[in-house]
Amino acid sequence: MSTKFLIHFAQIHTDFRIAELESLARLNGINVDLHKGSPDLSSPYLVVELQSIDEAKKLIERSILVKEICEYWAEGKTYEELFEKIKQNPERNMLYKKDSFKFNVDVFGGSNTEEEKLRKINNFSFLPFKGPIDLKKPNQEFMVYENYGDVDSPGGRSSEPKVIYFGRRIASSSRYEMIKKFTLKQRKYLGTTSMDAELSLVMANQALARPGTLMYDPFVGTGSMMLTCAEFGSYTMGSDIDGRQIRGTAGYRKGINGIKANIDQYKLSHRILGNVVFDICQNPWRAMDLYKDSGWIDLIVTDPPYGVRAGAKKLGRRNGTVEDYSFKIVDGVENHKRKDYYPPTVAYEMEDVVVDLLEFAAKMLVVRGRLVYWIPTVTEEYQLDDIPIHPALELVANSEQPFGSWSRRLITMEKIREWSEADSKVYNTNPADSENSSRCTSSTSLSGLPNNKPSPAHRNFRARYFSKFIRQDSPATPADAGN
Amino acid sequence: MLQCHAKGCDDPAKNFPLEISDFTKEEIEAEKNKDFLVRMLPKLEWNALYTTAVKLGITGLPETLPSDAETNDEFLSALHTVLLEVHIKEGKMTCNGCNHVYPIKDGVPNMLLAEHEI
Ligand SMILES: C[S@@+](CC[C@H](N)C(=O)[O-])C[C@H]1O[C@@H](n2cnc3c(N)ncnc32)[C@H](O)[C@@H]1O
Ligand SMILES: [Zn+2]
Repeated sequence: MSTKFLIHFAQIHTDFRIAELESLARLNGINVDLHKGSPDLSSPYLVVELQSIDEAKKLIERSILVKEICEYWAEGKTYEELFEKIKQNPERNMLYKKDSFKFNVDVFGGSNTEEEKLRKINNFSFLPFKGPIDLKKPNQEFMVYENYGDVDSPGGRSSEPKVIYFGRRIASSSRYEMIKKFTLKQRKYLGTTSMDAELSLVMANQALARPGTLMYDPFVGTGSMMLTCAEFGSYTMGSDIDGRQIRGTAGYRKGINGIKANIDQYKLSHRILGNVVFDICQNPWRAMDLYKDSGWIDLIVTDPPYGVRAGAKKLGRRNGTVEDYSFKIVDGVENHKRKDYYPPTVAYEMEDVVVDLLEFAAKMLVVRGRLVYWIPTVTEEYQLDDIPIHPALELVANSEQPFGSWSRRLITMEKIREWSEADSKVYNTNPADSENSSRCTSSTSLSGLPNNKPSPAHRNFRARYFSKFIRQDSPATPADAGN
Repeated sequence: MLQCHAKGCDDPAKNFPLEISDFTKEEIEAEKNKDFLVRMLPKLEWNALYTTAVKLGITGLPETLPSDAETNDEFLSALHTVLLEVHIKEGKMTCNGCNHVYPIKDGVPNMLLAEHEI
């Protein structure tokens, strides 16, 4: 028999919350329909049906976008209607006769003075609760939620509540403690593109980070997601083309031991396996040559370089030839063998980054493993089929964080079957690239995208970002991208 | 798990494992998870792991993968140490195929290639 529960969301990143709960349901083997009656994202309340209180606790325990979950008792357009419904279940009301208790009034889209709240609470005195009121450690906490609607709710905001819910609090999520723990304000080592705590945690949930799994971030930077995934139990590892990011010798709060300072701060060294410096386009992962077998990474969680703040780059020279410079003798040593040698880099277009990332994930993930990554899109031009596809990966979620004229989207994909040689032929239209699996896409050809459509909303994102999204109708050449 | 990836260095018998030398190592305690180790077993190239462990002065791994590997707790615990707990702080990793030396500094290997290698 299923019971109704009421979920109270933090009214933020609303496009992410159903996806997060679906991931958590999956993680805990819970069957729940989160799309009943097409959930209204302008309301922070959602009624769901679950099998038990235990399921309700598990479902939201790790959630970042849920605040708490209640056993649903009733709802009404007015208090009279609400009270009528509560009275229809006298047996349930009697269950809490002796418990100490507390009432909370939570208001969305309106406001109540403390006196108003108290007056409203007193109107519940028809309930047979005889136990003492205990504001600190009550046995039971009852929640009254008034929803006045918000500016973007259907019908806008009103002066009277549109709906009032009543329920018994079951559990709180880890939202408060986790965000507090990982907030960038307290983070020892930070870079200019460190992912904020809340979204790093949501990403870990989307990826199903959990004990006994291996997480990898190929654009690890200062390691934000490596930390949150380790917090949820995964072993984690990362790589970056820029060793200064990892070691912390450049950037924001530098000279404090880089990612290692963060690992120590959160005491996660027992789950963080290490970081390596390399270009994901020439990556040394051994399994790349053994990919006939299944992959070995359980989750890839990453924020690829958009080229807006963190310059997207890969090793190489613009025209693709090796310049003599590299072999020049400097101080008696060939240049490339010198300690501080840093190979030249060329711009790496967002579109190519993503195509390469999907192909990499399709090979390296275990079947059922997840890829969670961000992709920026130009709002006006966005279409669902701008999101790159791969025959071995299934789109699980696509959640938008809007910034006006552009958005970034958190994409969650799941590997549904083994990678096969044929995939890279379909997926990668540049024949030169499929020869060597550890090499990246080397042109801004429309690789990975079906039927040569003109311009996906992330194509040449950097150039367009800086040109204020003026649509470029002529296809951009690679040369446009570097500057 | 890391192999040489320089252009032209594609003899799988030579570009892996990289030979570690001039190293200092440290052990950082890692959380134990038996299922994880068992799941990794088929992905390991045992010979490479064994010779690397010996180079690092770690005894305790058998020369060949035991047939009861999945249930042998003593073996799994040695594997746990080698795979998850031993870290190279400083050192070099040299490719037996092309002699490329990859330095390890502050526990972070640098595997960037020079431009004629890509
Ligand atoms: C958006 S930042 C990631 C920030 C990270 N999530 C954090 O919390 O600090 C992107 C990173 O990708 C790295 N990067 C750029 N091009 C790369 C490439 N070809 N291979 C590997 N890393 C690259 C940059 O050095 C940068 O650290
Ligand atoms: Zn080599």
